[in-house]
Amino acid sequence: MIFGTYAEDEAYLWKKFQAPEFDPSTGIDQDTAAKEIIKFAELDAPPPIIKARAFEFLTEKLQIEVDPHDFFPAFACWRRRPCPMSPLLRELQKRVPLRQIELWGLLNQSGASNIWIDFDHSVPEWDEIIRLGFPGLLKNAMDWREKHRENGTLDEKIDAYFEGIRITYEAILRMLERLIERAQMHKNDRCDFVAASLLRLHDGPPQNFFDMLQLIYLYFIFSEHIDHLQVRSLGNLDWMLTPFYDRDLKNGTFTDEQMREMFDHFFMQWGSIDNYWGQPVYFGGTKADGSTQINHLTYWLLEEAAKLHLPTPKIQIKIAKNTPDEFIDKVTALIRDQHQSIVLVGEEGIRHIMTSHGLTEEDARTCFISGCYEFGCRGKIHSTGTGVGHLNMLKPFELIFNNGIDKQTGKPVGVAIPPLTSLKSFDDFYRLYIRELFWIIDANIKVVDDFEQYLDWINPTNVFSPTIPNSLRTGRDAFATGSDLNVTSILTTGFGSAIDALSVIEELVYTKNELSLEKMAAALNANWEGHETLHRRIVSFKNRYGNGIAHVDRFAQMLSRSIGSHVNGRPNARGGEWKASVHCAKQFIHEGAKTGATPDGRFAGEETSKNASPAMGADINGVTALIRSALAIDAASFPGDFPLDVMMHPSSVKGADGLAAWRKLIRVYFAGNGAAIHFNIFDAEELKAAQKNPEKYKGLQIRVCGWNVRFTEMAKSEQNMYIRRAENITQ
Amino acid sequence: MNEARYIDIKRFAVHDGPGIRTTLFLKGCPLRCIWCHNPESRFPQPELAIHYPKCTCCGECAKVCSCHAIVNGVHEFKRANCKACGKCVDACPSGVLELFGKTITVDEAAEKLLEDRIFYADGGGITISGGEPLLHSGFCADLLKRMHSEGIHCAIDTCGNVPWSAFEAVLPYTDIFLYDFKCADSEKHKQLTGCGNELILENLKKLNATGKEIEIRMIMVPEHNMAEGNLKAAGEFLAPLKSISAVRLLAYHSLARSKFQAVGHPDTMPDVPSPDADTLEHCADILRTYGVKVINSLK
Repeated sequence: MIFGTYAEDEAYLWKKFQAPEFDPSTGIDQDTAAKEIIKFAELDAPPPIIKARAFEFLTEKLQIEVDPHDFFPAFACWRRRPCPMSPLLRELQKRVPLRQIELWGLLNQSGASNIWIDFDHSVPEWDEIIRLGFPGLLKNAMDWREKHRENGTLDEKIDAYFEGIRITYEAILRMLERLIERAQMHKNDRCDFVAASLLRLHDGPPQNFFDMLQLIYLYFIFSEHIDHLQVRSLGNLDWMLTPFYDRDLKNGTFTDEQMREMFDHFFMQWGSIDNYWGQPVYFGGTKADGSTQINHLTYWLLEEAAKLHLPTPKIQIKIAKNTPDEFIDKVTALIRDQHQSIVLVGEEGIRHIMTSHGLTEEDARTCFISGCYEFGCRGKIHSTGTGVGHLNMLKPFELIFNNGIDKQTGKPVGVAIPPLTSLKSFDDFYRLYIRELFWIIDANIKVVDDFEQYLDWINPTNVFSPTIPNSLRTGRDAFATGSDLNVTSILTTGFGSAIDALSVIEELVYTKNELSLEKMAAALNANWEGHETLHRRIVSFKNRYGNGIAHVDRFAQMLSRSIGSHVNGRPNARGGEWKASVHCAKQFIHEGAKTGATPDGRFAGEETSKNASPAMGADINGVTALIRSALAIDAASFPGDFPLDVMMHPSSVKGADGLAAWRKLIRVYFAGNGAAIHFNIFDAEELKAAQKNPEKYKGLQIRVCGWNVRFTEMAKSEQNMYIRRAENITQ
Repeated sequence: MNEARYIDIKRFAVHDGPGIRTTLFLKGCPLRCIWCHNPESRFPQPELAIHYPKCTCCGECAKVCSCHAIVNGVHEFKRANCKACGKCVDACPSGVLELFGKTITVDEAAEKLLEDRIFYADGGGITISGGEPLLHSGFCADLLKRMHSEGIHCAIDTCGNVPWSAFEAVLPYTDIFLYDFKCADSEKHKQLTGCGNELILENLKKLNATGKEIEIRMIMVPEHNMAEGNLKAAGEFLAPLKSISAVRLLAYHSLARSKFQAVGHPDTMPDVPSPDADTLEHCADILRTYGVKVINSLK
């Protein structure tokens, strides 16, 4: 039973989520659905029921297909943004009595922070989904509804929560029936094979390897594309799939070749979806009992992923002390061969972070990896996180040197700024910087708490909630307040650049007296124009973060501890806690664009440093020095996550010796409590060649910041940024 | 000897011995290899390098030293008058000027090298290279002794053209010698390096007799030392030396050409392409016929 080859189906698969064609007789298209969905806002019902009815409408009306070229159904909600549900959610959001709209606008317009409502960072309990399947999740939820009724806890709100789930999951089962009918209509062997699997999933949990892939895919579509809640990890596939793979191979249900074909099509769904942020999936690490998770299927999955060479799904590899050297070498060899979609996360560092915040070693071993490099609890307790607000660590410099006036809006932002002449010592300056930073953090938290208290009004998560046991126990929406841990993270942008700016000010203004703060202000407010000599002096300033210089890295320690102690553990509006993260996603570009010139030598509008990494070109002392700088930070200050980007020249990791040295580098980083690290292995000349002859480098991928893109599809300015970065690394 | 002049300290040096290493490059070399990759290390005295492409001709250097002048938008430098005091380096706002040959004490070097000790376990360590490190054998011996007492694996990267006594000074504290083998024929060796190879080969034999691990490093320069005859002669000489753990073939490249200009030395780098992995493998195969283990650094 081989239905064709991946190569024969590839053209269909690429088109599936980019420009699909549906038989109009199967329903309405997504644009029509988006127009009609708004009518559900008029329903006189609680939000979970309004949304469930809208979900039901979409599952009944949207166009569908079960194509002979594919193992997985197609839906007319292929374009994720805007998804058909979006207009309804906007209406629901309008009903929420927000009080901090003005402050929200000021933070976003000034670039002091960047805040939006985050529906993008939750991970379902995959083990529950596998254990119960769609009908089991429904039955389990309804059983809990009865328990609440019996216990007298089924108030109106909780009843609406369960009713939303009932409507939603019954709609899912009816949609499976639609798909089965459509599949059978084609009179095609593969469609019949798919129909049989859909029927099993309609009736119960997955029975074989293929059912598992189908279940993961369908859950993803139901949650992310229809119910408007991102599925921020497809799970740890080696853990989830191994029992099914082994049993099917042993029983002769499927051959290895067949399962590879199915998996290739499965992975390609996300290749076709091609969200720029990439679809996370993770392998490896350890099991709850501490034994290694690395097994034959981990290698198998890696082989298939390498063969497909897609920028997405992006693969997170958990590395533990007992992860075999051979496996690490296999992973790094792939990265060296330009499979930049692979990122490494360290269980030792995660253990340090989690146990520093009251969680257990088992929580760390079994944690899920999601998003770019984030981690959270699953299993015995479940954490649902939102990442809301990006603290611009360079904005305070602009404000201090411009009398507290933000240059984007012309409005005052932050604390009152005293005359610069009153800042007699570096400590005076640093104290003011921290006060300004804390003002932005506090404002960010005020805005986010204001809207996060209403998450279950704005976007009740009827698909997601029944996968989280604590949500069912409490009758609370799992995305809002119903998970065991409801975490809200503030992310930092420009961490390394801020350290450099402080280092410049300390040394040149206060230690060497080369210039005054007033002169620095004049230079910054002129964007260095007319101050070129000073600018060159600062550009060649070497005491920067990323070079393993203790007296510079102390700023990394001071800032991380200050931010961590100011943020971590503060109650959020979801019954959980705030956590700090040194992770900035794309904000190093966006917030950089809204920030004036800074004392580290940055011009106005230029990007800032990203994640826990140094500013571009600042680390000139080699990768070991860079890692020592990063490890100077106590990772526990950043329980949100703590990623480091490293670019190395291919010559430094060539051959088996190069891989061995690289492995050592990784082991040292994780043993020192680094939580995540990703590598770009580039030669500047190769990047220049790719810019010149893109047709010859179509497969060249760049890891941007938690996700990766094809180099040839980047804007030229972004390409140039990476070329400059590559030119700064030495052979 | 408690101090020496150095040109650089390189971290994550994965080509200077086993594992992750930090390499200290000392200044001064008895050879003048035409393909020299570190021309700034040749002379023992300090030298100023000027990275002309980065120069904006701002004139800050000329304000502190009369050796510099900006004339009609051109940076002129009177190297013969330069005392390598370094004042101009401090004055330059653009990082154009660099002083090679600063003095470093054993204590300072030890502190720098130990910064990366977390990376040295399981096979890594430190390497002293150059230039020719054994021109500073007393300094090397003191430094290696210190490193050894810290349990750090130590390597010396040498051209071998030094008195045997220099080897004797470092032998107790050196775990591996990275030993250059440039050419088997002494006359040809003299053409390529300015010096015959008799002392080098004699020291190699003596070193072999001590039982210390030796890795031979042969830089392969097309049209200069890659002829089959040279490789066969090398194979014949090296085959009986049982302390040699491997012969590593390195590919010549001309990336160091700009450094010749920066330190004001005549550019002697051969204008030949860098050999590719297959070419190196062909050379390796010739050497392997003599029973020596050969590592192709491009594979």
